[in-house]
Amino acid sequence: MEFLLGMTGKDFTLTISDTAATRSIIVFKNDEDKSLELNKHVLMLYSGSPGDTLHFAEYIQRNVKLYEIKNGIELTPKATATFTRREMATSLRSRKPYNVNLLIAGYDVTTSLPHLYWIDHLGTNATMPYAAHGYGAFYTLGILDKYHRPDISLDEAKAIAKKCIEELKTRFFINLSGFKVKVSDKDGIREIEI
Amino acid sequence: MDYNGGTVLAMAGKNCVVVGSDKRLGVQNLTLSTEFQKVFPVTEKCYIALPGLATDVQTLSELFRLKCNMYKLREEREIEPLTLANMISSTLYGRRFGPYFCEPIIAGLDKNNKPHIYGMDLIGCLNFPDDFAVAGCAEAALFGMCESLWEPDLEPDELFETASQALLSAADRNSIVGWGAVIHTM
Amino acid sequence: MARRYDARTTIFSPEGRLYQVEYAMEAISHAGTALGILASDGIVIAAEKKVTSKLLEQTTTSEKIYLLNDNVIGGVAGITADANILIYYARQVAQQYLYTYDEDIPVEQLVQKLCDLKQGYTQYGGLRPFGVSFIYAGYDSHHGFQLYRSDPSGNYGGWKATCIGANNASAQSLLKQDYKDDITLKDAKELAVKVLSKTMDSTTLSSEKLEFATVSRNDENKTTYHLYKPSEIDALLKEHNLGGQETEQ
Repeated sequence: MEFLLGMTGKDFTLTISDTAATRSIIVFKNDEDKSLELNKHVLMLYSGSPGDTLHFAEYIQRNVKLYEIKNGIELTPKATATFTRREMATSLRSRKPYNVNLLIAGYDVTTSLPHLYWIDHLGTNATMPYAAHGYGAFYTLGILDKYHRPDISLDEAKAIAKKCIEELKTRFFINLSGFKVKVSDKDGIREIEI
Repeated sequence: MDYNGGTVLAMAGKNCVVVGSDKRLGVQNLTLSTEFQKVFPVTEKCYIALPGLATDVQTLSELFRLKCNMYKLREEREIEPLTLANMISSTLYGRRFGPYFCEPIIAGLDKNNKPHIYGMDLIGCLNFPDDFAVAGCAEAALFGMCESLWEPDLEPDELFETASQALLSAADRNSIVGWGAVIHTM
Repeated sequence: MARRYDARTTIFSPEGRLYQVEYAMEAISHAGTALGILASDGIVIAAEKKVTSKLLEQTTTSEKIYLLNDNVIGGVAGITADANILIYYARQVAQQYLYTYDEDIPVEQLVQKLCDLKQGYTQYGGLRPFGVSFIYAGYDSHHGFQLYRSDPSGNYGGWKATCIGANNASAQSLLKQDYKDDITLKDAKELAVKVLSKTMDSTTLSSEKLEFATVSRNDENKTTYHLYKPSEIDALLKEHNLGGQETEQ
């Protein structure tokens, strides 16, 4: 039921995640942040089994931080995504695999390019201009197919994001409580209102 | 095997081979990406095609890249297609009781520019066809197309055309295959 | 010579020295010279091959300069057998990094990994240290072209121009004299052969006694390495009037 979405623009990556913390048919919380900053420019969004998500996300976050402390340089978004995918793929063949889906959104300061990676609970990693997890993907990918271009500005991206959220509110029969929108660009990661 | 979609083929001609794949990545009927790589270069004249479960496609492509790079550094020469096929076969058989869900095809030219094509199942049982090899979700349709279009001793251009038509026609008959295709000619 | 404190590799002498490590360095100072020069648009590594006998088959491949990864080459001075172990280790480390992160390993991390291994043999008992010094030349997107040197103790440092092996002190001072901060790869190549021609014992330089390699970036912004073939080395020597009958000192 959870929803994650990301899109790249000219010099940024924009992400949306829903804010509902649910169990079965109960909504426990409606301001949950389903993302973690891996480093200054890379954001990871997660959905899946409640315990698994945060555990896996923090495990990745701490390993990325450790790399930074050890080597004095930041991991690029691509290196982060490759590392995360490998951990997920290894977990798939373990006694108890993680049930977590991820989006890794970031801005590569070495090449000045935005990046978006779609990783599922099996460890499939695909780099895409726009991507989504959950039932929301069925509603929003079509909108993105129509309106998204690789060189959109932040304002255009916000307008598309608005369209996606509106669509979910009208056509999706589950109330997702609210949405958090974040942007990663050369200045780092910040939350924005749309 | 039918979770992410995708299919590959390889064909041999006169002193040439081609290998190709579609470019779709999906989760069952939802298409996610139309730029998903399934054919991986090993040397200038040898490629591995990996159809199957996308996570294993990626794990294996990275693993084979590591192994081939180490081979090249150690031996100070490029790996030959037959050597590569056996390396892949034994890697897959190493997971006999918990296999990678992937059926690789290897296509390339050896040091005398003789064409080689190898196919195998997901636990590494090798096939040595001298005409063509197909695998993936549209395997059945591809077999039919290749059986009727392929003929011996095709020149590179003709072989490319034959393989392209076979791949595109087979992809059209399968809903989780297609969305663009790529062919490499050696 | 010390006697009481070098029975084991890992015992300090009363002056606070590790004799086995120093002996290893001594062993290296008898080996063929290898030098590296960092230029603005690339790096050059040159090495002296010691031809032990005319009857010995010439190896077809290089024995002093090795490819460690697509973006790093290494020059060796010391016991070749020891070096082979370390080269294999370095290649494995580099490939493992590529496997995990899908990117070439940053040069300093590769050097650091090798030095961690070397350091281990100065502290854990029962084994002798590796009798090898390395020169590493490589490129990564974080710090551009880089030149490093490591010794058997596991120490390493970044250099603009450096030298290991026989006569390294005199070669080092020659490099210090003639090195300029904005040196180009072309001038660095010339400097490398000139320094070697002065420090090598033999009177004539030729491809039989030299190995030569460069790291640079091509038009597509990819890191490329070039291990010189014998004919290319001879051509280079001829260009700078150092080959054949020409003798300098």
